[in-house]
Amino acid sequence: MLTQRIAWILWPAFLVACAIEVVFFTLFDPADMQLLGEPLEASRMAIYSVGFFVFWALGAASSFLTCFLQRSPWEVNRCPLPATQRPDGCPKREGPCC
Amino acid sequence: MRGVTRPNPGAPGAPVIPIKAVPAATGGDAEQGLFEVRRKIYPRSVTGWFATWRWALVWFTQILFYGLPWAAWNDRQAVLFDLGARKFYIFGLVFWPQDFIYLTLLLVIAAISLFLFTAVAGRLWCGYACPQTVYTEIFLWIERVIEGDHNARAKLDASPLTGRKFGLKAAKHGAWAALAFWTGFTFVGYFTPIKMLGGEVLSFSLGPWETFWIFFYGFATYGNAGWMREQVCKYMCPYARFQGAMFDGDTLIIAYDQHRGDPRGSRGKKADPKALGLGDCVDCGICVQVCPTGIDIRDGLQYECIGCAACIDGCDQVMEKMGYSKGLIRYSTEHALRENLGLVGIVSRFVRPRTLAYTAILATVVVAAATALLMRVPLKVDVIRDRGAMVREVEDGELENVYRLQVMNATESAHRYRITVEGLPGIRVASEPVIDMAAASTRAFPVRIRLPGAQSSGGSQKIFIGVTAEDGSGIQVREKAVFLSPRKDGNRAP
Repeated sequence: MLTQRIAWILWPAFLVACAIEVVFFTLFDPADMQLLGEPLEASRMAIYSVGFFVFWALGAASSFLTCFLQRSPWEVNRCPLPATQRPDGCPKREGPCC
Repeated sequence: MRGVTRPNPGAPGAPVIPIKAVPAATGGDAEQGLFEVRRKIYPRSVTGWFATWRWALVWFTQILFYGLPWAAWNDRQAVLFDLGARKFYIFGLVFWPQDFIYLTLLLVIAAISLFLFTAVAGRLWCGYACPQTVYTEIFLWIERVIEGDHNARAKLDASPLTGRKFGLKAAKHGAWAALAFWTGFTFVGYFTPIKMLGGEVLSFSLGPWETFWIFFYGFATYGNAGWMREQVCKYMCPYARFQGAMFDGDTLIIAYDQHRGDPRGSRGKKADPKALGLGDCVDCGICVQVCPTGIDIRDGLQYECIGCAACIDGCDQVMEKMGYSKGLIRYSTEHALRENLGLVGIVSRFVRPRTLAYTAILATVVVAAATALLMRVPLKVDVIRDRGAMVREVEDGELENVYRLQVMNATESAHRYRITVEGLPGIRVASEPVIDMAAASTRAFPVRIRLPGAQSSGGSQKIFIGVTAEDGSGIQVREKAVFLSPRKDGNRAP
């Protein structure tokens, strides 16, 4: 399940990052960009590459939230403790005693 | 595997056909795939008309992909997307970021072509030309050469690790990695001159980003074609999900002729199927064994079917051996299967509102793109007003405006251009009117334009600044600009 979640998060973000990379860097020249008022000193290649991973990370963050928020109430409510180890008084506690 | 029925070789009147029936997935335990429990698929290799076509396209696309970066044009790489210099060279053309519209048009044309081909003939792209199919085919070929056929591979995977197994696996992964590296190298060779890149590889002096992208692309190739295979088509490809929207009852699909084939069952070669109450399907399972996505086409159209036609080739061979007519599994349409239409009936339905609409849109965009490309002037001029001084009076009562001309020579030869101005009587270029530009370069020139004071009507007036090549090549651009003068009522222009 974890690998599936990771794939759901990374793969759509990758596709979107590819598209944004092309459009963004066609419209904006890295050589004209400034970072906090200072011109970027990296080569265009470096900025294209870093830019791609920034776009990918942003897309992944969005996919992550989608995955996170689409969890069902059952998944959210699920207690991480096994039924026998839940504290006394817990209605879902199970064990030899009760 | 759903829908696969196994013939029972031990039954009375058992099959004598020379095809050994095995279920499609003869692999070991199901593994946890990327998206769901996945049973490893060992597709049986197949030969035939469609397999030949697929291999022809593998050769064609890969000679193009691996060969194109090595082609030269005017002492440079013929196709080079020079991202560092923000220039795309495609044979005789040089594209700049300003030419983004052509890339957009190209993508629109590609998309609509895909829609049209899909509406007419289904997943032609997936089955024959998609890089995922092409590289999987090549990687499978390597696997077959090193590890043997599908049965040998399944057996090898199930066997404990021995020196022989380790050697075979190492050889396979080594060959895959070498091909993947070459693919990554070629890919980066479209963005960095490939001969220079080759020299850097040989002298171990690759730049960090070049190294990174070669291995990134190489790793993606290795992973997708070696490991992921049909999972890419089933779970990762957006096209596979929406291609159904382009389908209708007259779209060519790979279909099992249920009417002819059922009831299925094994029988002797000489047996009369009618007497046995059987259809033409001998239930040998070959169609399932050859399927790269592991489906049974006899269950009907499924989105996992990439339209590779391997099952057609496999089934045709069996039909031939049995002495039945070919085409139990064939390219057909839902409509044709239902109404028993022949080839003419299928082809005549290629023309229908959906395909006509796609064709009309495609033709319009292609004509527009071709016209735009033919009329493209390889010279671009931006006129920017000097913000410092709006207007000043100079000697002889003339008024002067200063502009900055951003000139881009998009040809691959040096040019001398003449700057002219028109639009008002007596207006003239007071600065050096002749400029020289190197090949494929951009430069800014200050231009001073003067107007006799008597000709000024005050305020802002429209003028045209022209830039014309001096060599009679007809390259010429005319840009609109504004000439500011002091107002006649005595107030200065701001």
